[in-house]
Amino acid sequence: MDLTTFLQQLINGASLGSMYALIAIGYTMVYGVLRLINFAHGDIMMVGAFFTFMATAAGLPFTLAVLLGILGSVIVGVLTDKIAYKPLREAPKISLLITAIGISFFLENLFNVIFGGVPKAFSAPDYLTKIFHLGDVYLPITVIIIPIVTVAILSGVLWVLYRTKYGMAIRALAFDIPTVKLMGIDADRIITLVFALGSALAAVGGIFYAVSYPSIDPLMGVIVGLKAFAAAVLGGIGSVTGAVIGGFILGFTEIFVVALFPELGGYKDAFAFFFLILVLLFRPTGIMGEDLERSRF
Amino acid sequence: MKKTLSIVAAAALMSGIAMAKDVVVGVVLPLTGPIAAFGQTSKGGLDIAYEQNHKLKNGDNVKLVVLDDRGDKVEAATAVKRLLNKNNATVILGEVASGNSMAMAPVAEKAKTPMITHASTNPRVTKGKKYVTRACFIDPFQGAVMAKYALDNGMKTAVVVTDAKQDYSVGLSKAFKKAFTAGGGKILKTVLINSGDKDFNAQVSTIKSQHPDIIAFTGYYPEAALMVKQARAMGIKTPFIGADGVGFPELVKIGGKAAEGFMYTDHFNEAAASSPEAKAYVEAFHKKYNKPADSMGALAADAYGMILSAMNQCIDEGKAPTDKECVNDKLRNTKGYKGVTGVINIDKDGNAVKSAVINEVKDGKFAYKTTVNP
Repeated sequence: MDLTTFLQQLINGASLGSMYALIAIGYTMVYGVLRLINFAHGDIMMVGAFFTFMATAAGLPFTLAVLLGILGSVIVGVLTDKIAYKPLREAPKISLLITAIGISFFLENLFNVIFGGVPKAFSAPDYLTKIFHLGDVYLPITVIIIPIVTVAILSGVLWVLYRTKYGMAIRALAFDIPTVKLMGIDADRIITLVFALGSALAAVGGIFYAVSYPSIDPLMGVIVGLKAFAAAVLGGIGSVTGAVIGGFILGFTEIFVVALFPELGGYKDAFAFFFLILVLLFRPTGIMGEDLERSRF
Repeated sequence: MKKTLSIVAAAALMSGIAMAKDVVVGVVLPLTGPIAAFGQTSKGGLDIAYEQNHKLKNGDNVKLVVLDDRGDKVEAATAVKRLLNKNNATVILGEVASGNSMAMAPVAEKAKTPMITHASTNPRVTKGKKYVTRACFIDPFQGAVMAKYALDNGMKTAVVVTDAKQDYSVGLSKAFKKAFTAGGGKILKTVLINSGDKDFNAQVSTIKSQHPDIIAFTGYYPEAALMVKQARAMGIKTPFIGADGVGFPELVKIGGKAAEGFMYTDHFNEAAASSPEAKAYVEAFHKKYNKPADSMGALAADAYGMILSAMNQCIDEGKAPTDKECVNDKLRNTKGYKGVTGVINIDKDGNAVKSAVINEVKDGKFAYKTTVNP
């Protein structure tokens, strides 16, 4: 591999990795509070992309479409919580997990019925699809924007968590829900807030995913959701920084498996997950994860 | 007067009872999921053919039962079982993807039920099967057509893109490589992708460092559209050639300008339709859908037509149209069937021997270039 190709592959890895990182943050945040692996996260992401797609198709400017996409996802996410998760607050975690999988299937099929399964072309504005040329190396502008957005969102989330009353309530919930209720805090409202935040993150991830890979379909969240979940676990689920690190590791692994062994490119997912297993064998709580019971963000 | 009328009515009623039999054709298609466009367009053509004719010679009604397998192999096999056990299907029509058809074939074979796939081009679909037929050509032919076209246009080196998850793509890549090297071309590299993937930048960067004359893409349209887009974004100007899996409007809708010049082999292009059967179909298609007729729909219409023709032949011989052995025998021995996609002859392995067309994306449309005969 010559230097140009190598640099190009580095950029490709960063591009894919930042994508995974952005989505993994949402996964890890909901998990950190509720100890719920929200398998519907990838599908909320799809919902965000579809709402944005519909808004742009209706002729709205892109920024407004993005806001509507985020709003749509937040509404779907909060409704999901109210309808499906709330009745199960006291139930064993496994029931909640199965419900999450059910919600995931429900959303996929609902959008399948409404929009059909044929992939739709997502049109992004030119300023998001720009490509810089550094000699022979091509640098898509998303490689720069996505990490900025990720950092911005990360700081926003951390600010909410550590600098606001709501954040304090969220962190308290992560420790002990019944006690928080005894303190006179409306736990359900705070959990709804967590879902709203998580869904907004998913929507942002979904929209950027659709900008980078402009083909959206109702099942688009399945594979990338799984990868982001793997990234979150790799980094140590519950840890926001871990999710970012995990995302980048996964992105680079995938790209370099293909780059170094093109004949094995069809098995890149296998490599990525094999790597995940390896890490978990030596660090069962992931790279940044502490003892599961003590780690709260 | 009144009496005769009632007698006539009674007779009509009685014959009605005797005749109002439904012969079930079970259809399995990927109506949703990653390759939904194949299923949807197949269904579109099938509906036209059904509207044109769904009565058999003895007055029986053909009934279509269409099941969606979401493009999944396991679902496809389950759908066949359901069509056999619950709907009592005489014939199974489907699937599009070779991998899915291969999952269905053993089920049909075991139940001794004729199955015809309209669009699965991998040779293994019919190999060693007694009850499986197809209405399309097979990949060794298609791969050879791709290779010959590239070589004839002075392209000597190629990178092959294979979708490792699709039997169709694996088989087609093999066929292309064989024909391309036999014709004096050189395969520089094979890069693998997975259907469902969206990021092909790693593969594209690898291709770029190889400087091939042509990129032979043997997968399906969702990946083709994104890959050609990412390739053009990275400054690769090498032309792409694909096969029947890429010729869908989504290639242009998603690929946009990047898809311009994408060549591919296909079963049908309405611009080349000259037979009365093809013209009638194209006309009905335009009237119903108000868009150009696609090849998947045309193939589905032909597979359906072949089923009807086989059932009618059985009726001519005094057998029931639900006689699976007879229908299968007639399907497997189809000779000179005049279909929408051309004249179809079935060889001893159950494969259709017929011509292919080469199309190219031009101004966002699929322009007809040439027809290649077997």
